[in-house]
Amino acid sequence: MNIYIQGTGCVSPQDTTVVEPFLAGIREYEGDRLKAVEPDYRQWIDLKLIRRMGRVVKMGIAAAKLSLQEAGIDMPDAIVTGTAYGCLEDTGIFLSRMVAQQEEMLTPTAFIQSTHNTVGGQIALLLGCHAYNNTFVHRAFSFESALLDSMMLLQEQAARQVLVGGVDEITDHSHRILSRFGLYKQAPVRNTALLQSHTGGTIGGEGAAYFMLGTERNVRTVARITGLATIYKPADEQEMDAAVEAFLAAHHCSSGDIDLLISGRNGHAGENRHFTRLEQKLFQGCAVAGFKHLCGEYPTASAFATWLGARILHGQQLPQGLLFSGAAPRQLDRILIYNCYQGTHHSLILLDRT
Amino acid sequence: MADLKSQIIAQLNLQEVKPEDIGNDQPLFKEGLGLDSIDALELIVLLQQHYNIRIANPEQGPEIFHSVRSMAEYITAHQKQQG
Repeated sequence: MNIYIQGTGCVSPQDTTVVEPFLAGIREYEGDRLKAVEPDYRQWIDLKLIRRMGRVVKMGIAAAKLSLQEAGIDMPDAIVTGTAYGCLEDTGIFLSRMVAQQEEMLTPTAFIQSTHNTVGGQIALLLGCHAYNNTFVHRAFSFESALLDSMMLLQEQAARQVLVGGVDEITDHSHRILSRFGLYKQAPVRNTALLQSHTGGTIGGEGAAYFMLGTERNVRTVARITGLATIYKPADEQEMDAAVEAFLAAHHCSSGDIDLLISGRNGHAGENRHFTRLEQKLFQGCAVAGFKHLCGEYPTASAFATWLGARILHGQQLPQGLLFSGAAPRQLDRILIYNCYQGTHHSLILLDRT
Repeated sequence: MADLKSQIIAQLNLQEVKPEDIGNDQPLFKEGLGLDSIDALELIVLLQQHYNIRIANPEQGPEIFHSVRSMAEYITAHQKQQG
């Protein structure tokens, strides 16, 4: 059974809420954090409801609404969300008030909005959708788990149209805490130079990307999702290589059939080796594009990569500033996304042109 | 009452509403300002935080929170009792 992407929506640090022109220019930032470019949410959400929503909820709703609009679908059969951090902003507000007010006089709004499944829940409330609604909180496999669940729902014919997405936000609090772990660059770096960086750390990021999936190809179809795999803490390079080769073989292709490898390299000197080895050993000669200089590093960044891959296949256009190495062929039929988060969470997503 | 209106706007994050937009006798709930049950809880917390008033009888809620004027009168009466 084929699984098609019928519509996409993305809110990110780039101008992604406007489909055309597709990434006409890359927004440049300097620092260790990329913030999402937020659209005017009033076009999708009533003003009375917006006031209670944190940024991540609004980003998720906007991305979901955009994907539904493109697919021409009002009501999905299921809503599946992947998020590692959930609603950090409201969690921070609620916990800060607990401390400041000594656990007294706590208001309900921040608490209600602080749970991980708020994004999926609010999308359902806005749509009036009472169907299956699930949120996966599996760290850097959150989006992949949501995608797997969605694909299984479709394959088992439990749903015909599934809205699936990945969403995460970064807040001042979380950025400070994550900085202490050495995740980010010590010295400011331009995002456009991130992939060429040879120092430790990366740039933090955030965003929301949703997809309307279905099993029937139609005039609105953007791309086809052919395969998905996650590899957690491979024992060594050989195990990782074998997993990639087995994945390709399972989908009846080889590395030579991949027209573009979208690589999750993030400019962290300590993590580059995962990507460099894969790119040079298994995908020698294949065009490689980066995406984390556009959206930053966050656990569900693979959702942004999926959005990017789908748009590239649909438009048959690789925007400037994405190519990391090699030369992309004139016709792009198959894209492999390889992401790796902190050296432990490896994932592969295979997309085809329809 | 202007201060109370500003406090309500801040507590409920009423975006694009200014104190002068809220009439003194305008109903706060339903057809008036359109507040709901979650807002009612926020207003209870507002009275505790800003005026040290705890509403002992929940049945008084609709009467106290009918409008800005009814809230202000309740606060004034409570402060006189305490003072």
